Amino acid sequence: MKLAPFLGCMIPIKYPQMEAAFRRSMPNLGVELVDLEGFTCCPDPIYFKARDALGWLTIAARNLSIAEEAGLPLVTLCSGCTATLKEARFLLGEDEELRARVNERLARIGREYRGTASVEHAVVVIRDEIGMDAVRESVKRPLEGMSVAIHYGCHLLKPSQIMHVDDADYPSILEDLVTAVGATPVAHQEELLCCGKGCLDDEMPVEMVYSIFSSIRNSEADCMGLICPTCFSSFDLGQIVVGRKKGVKFEIPIIYFFQLLGLAQGLPLEDVGLHLHKVKADDIVARLPSPA
Amino acid sequence: MPADKSPEPESDERVVLSFELRREIDQIIGGNHHNYCYQCGACVAQCPAARFSDRFNPRLIMLDLLLGRADKLLAADSPIWLCTNCYSCYERCPQDVRPVEVIIALKNLAGRKGVAPDSVSLLTRNILKTGYSGVVTPVVHKTREKLGLDPLPEPPVDEMLELLDSGSDERDASAGPREEKTRERSHGETPAGNASQRRKK
Repeated sequence: MKLAPFLGCMIPIKYPQMEAAFRRSMPNLGVELVDLEGFTCCPDPIYFKARDALGWLTIAARNLSIAEEAGLPLVTLCSGCTATLKEARFLLGEDEELRARVNERLARIGREYRGTASVEHAVVVIRDEIGMDAVRESVKRPLEGMSVAIHYGCHLLKPSQIMHVDDADYPSILEDLVTAVGATPVAHQEELLCCGKGCLDDEMPVEMVYSIFSSIRNSEADCMGLICPTCFSSFDLGQIVVGRKKGVKFEIPIIYFFQLLGLAQGLPLEDVGLHLHKVKADDIVARLPSPA
Repeated sequence: MPADKSPEPESDERVVLSFELRREIDQIIGGNHHNYCYQCGACVAQCPAARFSDRFNPRLIMLDLLLGRADKLLAADSPIWLCTNCYSCYERCPQDVRPVEVIIALKNLAGRKGVAPDSVSLLTRNILKTGYSGVVTPVVHKTREKLGLDPLPEPPVDEMLELLDSGSDERDASAGPREEKTRERSHGETPAGNASQRRKK
């Protein structure tokens, strides 16, 4: 299966270990990644969209038109890119007048949005196209005994009329994926709470992160598993900052799903880049069986 | 859960309705559904900002908009910037108001009037300059190389900038919003026309 990855900004710039883990684990699921040229920032669904909504939509449409031209489905790694590109598709599909205005602008650079390229987050492509069996078959070292507190993040699921990923209140996609790599998903009270990154307040995000981490600590999970780089930025360094303010030490490693997948496929540790995280996962990785 | 205090006027204070703000919001992407709000408060129940702060309540933001209170919503300390963008309100709303999108439309208007916080413009400026939201430092290149990844591609910034109208964004904020406004108007959605259009689906 050929897929065109849309990497966005945060992953290739701030967390390239996530890109490395993705690029190395997907071929083991029978996927050929075809990099397309000419993408820009999706653009970001919080700040850019708040500054210039029509510009945001038009730049997103331009990115989509690149995949249309190549005739390949786009696969996203970041919940923010997923939100922007899927919402752009939705808005341009529901409002013909808006689509005409966007295409009027795209014509300036000889492009057109036609709405023919699909966009899905990589975990959705795995569940719906590749299949959980392929994940299980790719596993050489099941992550047995590793308990993973799930964090969904907001933009993979909501709004469900656009995302069409899962039940926004009772999702199971991440639990199923974590189970497929041999680990044990751990439910906790705050697994659907927002990470707070999109809020321009100083105090509120601190309380939100504190709430999430207190909830995970109560669950006694070994680590947190997630799929969103923005949530990761709130949690990896964030738990240290929040812990200092609150006088507690959480030390809960945050692991991106494709790093879990890579570990389970027996990839070397450096290849999935866990050493680049602030909160180290050495202890839980050391407890894993060696690859078969 | 914080108390859901309605901004009810003192007995001798009169509520003055203004439609100006509502008309402006109607012209911005995502703003036009605010007309459907019937103040049920479903948006508040799962709102994390309402849970963690008594300064934020999406129902009251919609009410202030329905009353046309630009003085509150476009003030420097407007509650709109406390929204976490989690989309729970969009998920919950029985009227398809899409409150978070209405709040984003309000943020667009605040930007045009020059009252948006600097931090919002900072990230936007990065994107317009480099095509990336983040800053690419030498450390980034080195880390990627160590991980065995290809060098970062250079996004076609000029092509991206071609798509923006001066006046609508950071490129030429001093040009003012006039040109953009005319274009937005050509979208031609009146609240009534819009409602009938939406209900067809």
